[in-house]
Amino acid sequence: MRGLQLVSVLALLSAWEGAARAGWADPLFVPAPSAVARAFGPIGGPALAALGDTLGKTAIAYVLSMVLGVAAGLAVGSIRLLRDVLNPFVVALYGIPKILVLPWIVLLLGYGTAPAIFYGALHGLFPVLVLVIGAVRDVDRTLVTVARSYGATTWQLYWKVLLPAIVPSVFAGMRLGIVFCLLGVLVVEMFAGIRGMGYVMGAFANGFQAPELFAATGLVSAASIAIVLALDHVSERLSHWRG
Amino acid sequence: MTVALVRLGLVAAVLLAWEVAGRAANPLLAVPPSATLPALRELLLLRSYPDLGASLLVTLREIATAYALAVAVGLAVGGTLGMNRLLGRAYGPMLAALYAVPAVVWYPSLMLFFGLDAASKIAFGFLLGFFPVTLAVLAGIRQVNPHLVTVAKSYGAGPLTVFGRVVLPATLFTLVGGLRTGLALSVIGVIVGEILGSKRGMGALINHAYGLLRTADYVALVLVTLALIVGTDVVAGLVERKARAWSE
Repeated sequence: MRGLQLVSVLALLSAWEGAARAGWADPLFVPAPSAVARAFGPIGGPALAALGDTLGKTAIAYVLSMVLGVAAGLAVGSIRLLRDVLNPFVVALYGIPKILVLPWIVLLLGYGTAPAIFYGALHGLFPVLVLVIGAVRDVDRTLVTVARSYGATTWQLYWKVLLPAIVPSVFAGMRLGIVFCLLGVLVVEMFAGIRGMGYVMGAFANGFQAPELFAATGLVSAASIAIVLALDHVSERLSHWRG
Repeated sequence: MTVALVRLGLVAAVLLAWEVAGRAANPLLAVPPSATLPALRELLLLRSYPDLGASLLVTLREIATAYALAVAVGLAVGGTLGMNRLLGRAYGPMLAALYAVPAVVWYPSLMLFFGLDAASKIAFGFLLGFFPVTLAVLAGIRQVNPHLVTVAKSYGAGPLTVFGRVVLPATLFTLVGGLRTGLALSVIGVIVGEILGSKRGMGALINHAYGLLRTADYVALVLVTLALIVGTDVVAGLVERKARAWSE
């Protein structure tokens, strides 16, 4: 299986290289893989710095959205009236393309880091919120009743019963959330960035620097895939531990 | 009943707070609801943006093209990978890995390749809509009773006939969910593309109003675009319910 995957990727790359060398594709738009590989050299340093900038913003946005999402999800999910009133709004806000409010966010927060973190957190918040509200709603009522009848305080009820019960949903939300946060940060950097990978890629595209653009795109994609795989790995180990 | 009342009260409270805060704030930055309605009327009467109709049409056409491509290619790729075990096991995980990349990283390349016009928005809307359709076909095919396929094959059905006559009807239930998600994502792709850089369409109007700090017009344009998005979703929801009822 690995062999077939490797062979097909290599075949695709060599066909692409051949097509570019034979002049079938305009190198201005579709650079040969070898040209893309060479572009890693000159852009390497600055691109890695920009990637670090983007990932730093993403990390802050991610922590914000996870903490807020789990806390608000626990509150909204466990209080009946709150849940009945707010759930349709939360689902509707989740579905609305947040890009529509991006110009307004940029008007309020200016260019640079703040709107990127805000918009990234906004993107990451809703998947967690929706998943946690659903998970808290579906916690077995018997668990709550038993804990209550054994005299558990409200604090203990949340910390010892509800939180452990929703761990799988939190992980699902964390996995979705990281891609959403990164997406949000990159969109802001493309729309109103002065630094970061989204800004760098936008600048390469506007400057018709196709090899550099492809190399930068490859770098972000690889980073994103690596982060998601690492999260999968961690959540798998944690679920073994949880039993 | 109480829930509906509380909801209504909440919406009223948010609008009121927005009105109070909006009046106090810089009018370039915040628009109270009372200023939004006149702007919306000006917009709908084609006074502030006379080319509203044409722009809506451009955006709708881009969405329709992107979605049609996403469904056609998604069905073909999902069907091929799902019906052929070797291909499915080799390329399925690669597709899933690509899905873990925030799609917007491809947008600058698409813009470079297809230019600022409709083609780059269609390509981006296609890319976003393609994945849920393909993954829904793959998930659906995994649930098909293999006996049905064996029987059809033993009666001499070719792969295309098996796919069209056996697999597709049996997966319809899973498929319609993917088709609806795909539509929502195609819509988002086109709008994101337009806002990140375009010359025509609703995104171009929004950017124009934002760039000139015509904030009230911007809010009105966002509301119209939102109506377009919600409208597509409502229609898709109706079609989904019909298809689900029929497939049961």
